[in-house]
Amino acid sequence: MEELILELKKQIIEALNLEEITPDDIDTNAPLFVEGLGLDSIDALELIVLMEKNYGIKLTDPGKSKEIFKSVATMAEYIQANRTK
Amino acid sequence: MNKITSYYRLKDNRLTELYRSLEISYPKFFKMDRLCKAGFLASEMVFRSLGEDPQSPKHDTALVFMNSSSSLDNDMDYQTTILPGNYYPSPALFVYTLANIVTGEVAIRNKIFGETSFYISSEFSAKELIITAEGAFVGKGIRRVLCGWTEYFKDACDVLVMMVEKDAAEGLDFTEKNINQIY
Amino acid sequence: MIRLLGDCIVSPLGFSSRENFNAVKSGQSSIREEDGAVSRIDRSLLSRCFNSIGAISGDYTPLEQAMIYAAFHAVKQSGIDASSPRTIFIISTTKGNVELLGEPGHPYGPRRIYLWHTARLVSDFFNNPNKPFVVSNACISGSCAQITAKRLMERRLYDYAVVVGGDMLSEFIVSGFQSFQSLSPVRCRPFDADRKGLNLGEAGAAMVYGRHEENDHAPGLYLTAGAIRNDANHISGPSRTGEGLYLALEEVLEQTGRDSLAFINAHGTATLYNDQMEAVSLSRSGLLAIPVNSLKAYLGHTLGAAGVVESILSLMALNEGIVLPSLGYETHGVTEKINVITQCMPTTGNRFVKMLSGFGGCNAVLLFEKKV
Repeated sequence: MEELILELKKQIIEALNLEEITPDDIDTNAPLFVEGLGLDSIDALELIVLMEKNYGIKLTDPGKSKEIFKSVATMAEYIQANRTK
Repeated sequence: MNKITSYYRLKDNRLTELYRSLEISYPKFFKMDRLCKAGFLASEMVFRSLGEDPQSPKHDTALVFMNSSSSLDNDMDYQTTILPGNYYPSPALFVYTLANIVTGEVAIRNKIFGETSFYISSEFSAKELIITAEGAFVGKGIRRVLCGWTEYFKDACDVLVMMVEKDAAEGLDFTEKNINQIY
Repeated sequence: MIRLLGDCIVSPLGFSSRENFNAVKSGQSSIREEDGAVSRIDRSLLSRCFNSIGAISGDYTPLEQAMIYAAFHAVKQSGIDASSPRTIFIISTTKGNVELLGEPGHPYGPRRIYLWHTARLVSDFFNNPNKPFVVSNACISGSCAQITAKRLMERRLYDYAVVVGGDMLSEFIVSGFQSFQSLSPVRCRPFDADRKGLNLGEAGAAMVYGRHEENDHAPGLYLTAGAIRNDANHISGPSRTGEGLYLALEEVLEQTGRDSLAFINAHGTATLYNDQMEAVSLSRSGLLAIPVNSLKAYLGHTLGAAGVVESILSLMALNEGIVLPSLGYETHGVTEKINVITQCMPTTGNRFVKMLSGFGGCNAVLLFEKKV
């Protein structure tokens, strides 16, 4: 799980162009949206692409996506349980 | 006479370095495509030289940019995300597949509520720049236009951003001759 | 102000303004749900029509065909000399021939991807000696092009303007909107509580405008005022306070007054946030009582052509003294009580407002008038 979390942080940084941030800067349990990294609606859409591209998970329910993307921890848990890649 | 009160010519494509040298904290910069980064930085230099606060709302300022390749530099990047067999359309790239987004980024950064427009021309034309920029002066309360040429394609950066003030007392006359000179 | 002298719409609903207007009046929509809820022009029909104006369709991309055909008939109707140096072409398109990026073997040459090249081909078709202006300001381009025409002619730089708008759908554009999750799988429902997003459409459309002299009170249809303002908020998300639209509305209405407004033709893309934003701006401007419609469910969102297509259809309605219904609306779905029209209704108003908003936070408002 630790490996996945680190890998995920690196992928998030790359996909969202968080140039000035390192994996150490991202608190695994902190909110990704509004506070924390302060991601916006385009970032959320890009995370959906990330899930499919890297883990083969297709997210179609916007409500569910909100829950999954709450933090890196919730994302990792969901990926662990549902990945097809 | 309308006058150029400040301008910045950017031909150097080392955009991240220029950003860092400005010592501002604007993480959104890294999400921008190269065209937006270039236009953003040149505009930043212009506002900085005028001593302006980015946070102060500007209802008297319009923004008119032009270029030749539109957003083609970024469009080609987006195209690589919709290849058959590797089809993962990127929203973060798609949002920059419009040339006028650079005007949006500058407007957001500097709280510009006036007109924002974008025109396309086959090559740099001081004449067209003047016509389109001065056109914005008919807007209510608009007394200055941030205008210029924001061209970026395949690592070639060709940007000139000017602040033009209506009936200004000081500055460079907003004429084809002067624009061509600073270009 | 500038006077409308001729117009033409090329869309799946027809190859003339009249055909399109009649189709819209009878409630027809070109949005095909079985086709992914998009509105597409039949390419072979387009070629045949294009050939009929004495042109060779093989030399031009579908976008260019649609734009030139529309301009041809608009110019014909207007009776102006499109080859005169006192006539200026103003082209409005968001992506031009962008589909060529995905067609490396295409026969049109390397410069065809440039919007200025497409524009030049359009104005060259009419032997116009002036370099055309090309507006690429996201979805408000069609309104901006008309505003540009107005400014150029009010400064007496030209006597006539041919405003031509167009965009065609492509994998590039459709995939992008899909990645935004902003597309509705069914025909769109502007301002409705169940709206699920927009439909993409394609069209080419042209309007010919003439300069207006101070003492000229000739009956006709006029573009009287226009304003463009930015939200300064987000590059793709509509402003919650409808700031830019509100400012543009106020600017236009201050110039022209609020009397005799027959209707407001909104942008009305049927995305959750756009329609809400427009309702807020209408409320802030005190326009809740004025009949509102969106034409997006008839033809889809035609991007660079939208401002031209929707202005023409709305002008035809104004001319006939009617308000076109807002197709797709049943249950009120925005917080402000805007007055969405669901049936064709008569009006004695002689003016209307056209609103558009686009990516990059830009907004445009036009005010049109009928003089009798």
